[in-house]
Amino acid sequence: MQRNSQLASRLSIFVGVFLILFAGFAMVAWRTLDQVRVKGALYDEIILGNDLIADILPPPQYIIESYLLTLQLVEEKDPAEITRLIERGNELRIEYENRQEHWKRVLAKDTMGDLMTVTSSRAAMEFYRLRDGDFVNAIRAGDRELARKVLEQMRQRYEAHRYAILEVVQLARQRNAKFETQADELIVGQTRTLALLALGIVLVVVVMAWFARRAAATLSDRVQLVSDIADRVAQGDLTTTVPTTDDRDETGRLLTAISGMNQSLRGLVTRVKQASVELMSTATEFAATSRQQESTVQGFGASTNEIAAAVKQIAATSQELLATMEGLNAVSGQTADLAEQGQSGLSNLDSTMDRLAQAANAMAARLAAIREEAAEITGVVTTISKVADQTNLLSINAAIEAEKAGEQGLGFLVLAREIRRLADQTAVATLDIEQMVKQMQTAVSAGVMEIDRFAEEVRSGVGTVDRVGGQFGQIISQVKTLSERFDTVNHGMRSQSQGARQIGEAMGQLLDGARQTSLSLREFNAATESLRDAVTVLKQEIAKFNLGS
Amino acid sequence: MLALAFRAGDALLALAARDIVEVLPRVPLRTPSLAPAAVIGLLPFRGTLTPVVDLCLLVAGRPSARQLGTRIIVVRIGSGDKERLVGLQAEQVSELIDCERTARGLHLPEHAWLGEHVADQPGLPQLVDPSELLPDALIALFTDRADA
Repeated sequence: MQRNSQLASRLSIFVGVFLILFAGFAMVAWRTLDQVRVKGALYDEIILGNDLIADILPPPQYIIESYLLTLQLVEEKDPAEITRLIERGNELRIEYENRQEHWKRVLAKDTMGDLMTVTSSRAAMEFYRLRDGDFVNAIRAGDRELARKVLEQMRQRYEAHRYAILEVVQLARQRNAKFETQADELIVGQTRTLALLALGIVLVVVVMAWFARRAAATLSDRVQLVSDIADRVAQGDLTTTVPTTDDRDETGRLLTAISGMNQSLRGLVTRVKQASVELMSTATEFAATSRQQESTVQGFGASTNEIAAAVKQIAATSQELLATMEGLNAVSGQTADLAEQGQSGLSNLDSTMDRLAQAANAMAARLAAIREEAAEITGVVTTISKVADQTNLLSINAAIEAEKAGEQGLGFLVLAREIRRLADQTAVATLDIEQMVKQMQTAVSAGVMEIDRFAEEVRSGVGTVDRVGGQFGQIISQVKTLSERFDTVNHGMRSQSQGARQIGEAMGQLLDGARQTSLSLREFNAATESLRDAVTVLKQEIAKFNLGS
Repeated sequence: MLALAFRAGDALLALAARDIVEVLPRVPLRTPSLAPAAVIGLLPFRGTLTPVVDLCLLVAGRPSARQLGTRIIVVRIGSGDKERLVGLQAEQVSELIDCERTARGLHLPEHAWLGEHVADQPGLPQLVDPSELLPDALIALFTDRADA
């Protein structure tokens, strides 16, 4: 945890601890000074002065001077002196009362306070009452005896007062002694606390110094390491592996950052290396492609020349074609004349064909009649065949029965055989008839077919004649329109010839363009060469970086 | 001996007249359902239904031609209680022949119905024994019908 906290925060903690300790030290020192400052040298001087004044001046709270004045008054004879002494006594009384007021305010209500403000004060006030009243009056009246008696009373009061005051002095001395002892003890205790605090501060400062030294050493080591790595990277050695650390402080992060930088630099250089290889091959391809393109452009120039020649030839050919067309125009005029003659000849042929068609139809009708009669013959022959078959069957059955009858059936058997022979002959005859009828039918069918075909031909001949007539008409009209079209074609030929000439010119321009393209390609080649040189230099630069295996 | 000559497929055959009951013209027959292929129908004959077997189908494996010469020969097979009438349809049933001399031809044990050849006639027609002609399975069918 301590190692993971950052340098600055660690220093902050130390400074904080130092400040807290120092504040404690300052507070203890101040408090001590506050409590015992009365024991300082300056205070002693002030106390000395006060003691001196108190020793010299008559104490206002001790009424000894007033008592002495009364003793002096009893013996005094001079009236001026008496008046002055009475005045002085009055002044002392006022002073006593004032001071008494002061002490009543200041002193606590304890034994000493009571003695001072109550016991001694009461005796003093009795004393002053007696003096101001009876004693002063007796003195002024000059009655010395009475004055002495009153003085005796006053002396008793004074004695009481003196005892009380002495008591107060005793108590005050004891109190002072006690306070001095307390002050001494306090000073000893606070001095010890201060010594401890000072020791703590020294310890903190020592720890701080040790830590700062250690941190500086670590920092210096790591900075040295980072500096070495940076030097090696600067010389192009990227194989260095940066030691990683778990520290999360500034130097740890610096190491991590250097490691990341090293890795990304290595990746970058690797990629640049690959890219330069690719760039090299691309440049080579460029050169090859542009060379190829150059040859293509040269080929294109040659092709363009050929095209120009071909176009010229086309122009010449179209001129020739123009002449041929004019010849053709004359021939088509002759064709129209011939077609008109053919059309008139065809109308005679038309009527002849009609007559032929009618004859063919009549023949077809007669043949159909023959076919019907042949069918009737076939029907009769079939009937005869069936009868012959029945007869054959009957004769067979009769013969079988006769055979079964044995000797008695012999005559019948002969008869049956005769019938069967007749039936067989009939069957053979019918077969012959059938055969003949079939042949006839075949012939008729063939004839019908021939007639049909002939009629069809005649019909189609009529159609053909009509069609030929129509076609002659079309030929005539087409030949007529042909002349107009020839004109159009002539016109087209002329514009074609012109167009060919224009194409020739355009080809010339194209040739110029190709020549310029060739020049540009040569420039491009030069640019590719310089690109290749640049890539070579880049490759050499990259080769300085050692990427390891 | 008088015999009736006929054809079944390519074979020229003959039946003795004594075995024949009657020769009938080809008539349309009621085709029995689920019968063996050679039985082509039932023929009403003298008050009974007589089964008709096509010899062409039996011998050559094709039905008889539909011609006038194709006829039905009704023969009697078996004897006693098992006597049955059977119609045999064949082609060119139109010739009666006399057979005075017969000669033995090839002996085929699985075709016992083919008997001797008629030696004095052109084409040497082979005599047929109707009782051996039909396969046992077919005869069994007819016999069972008779019992039922």
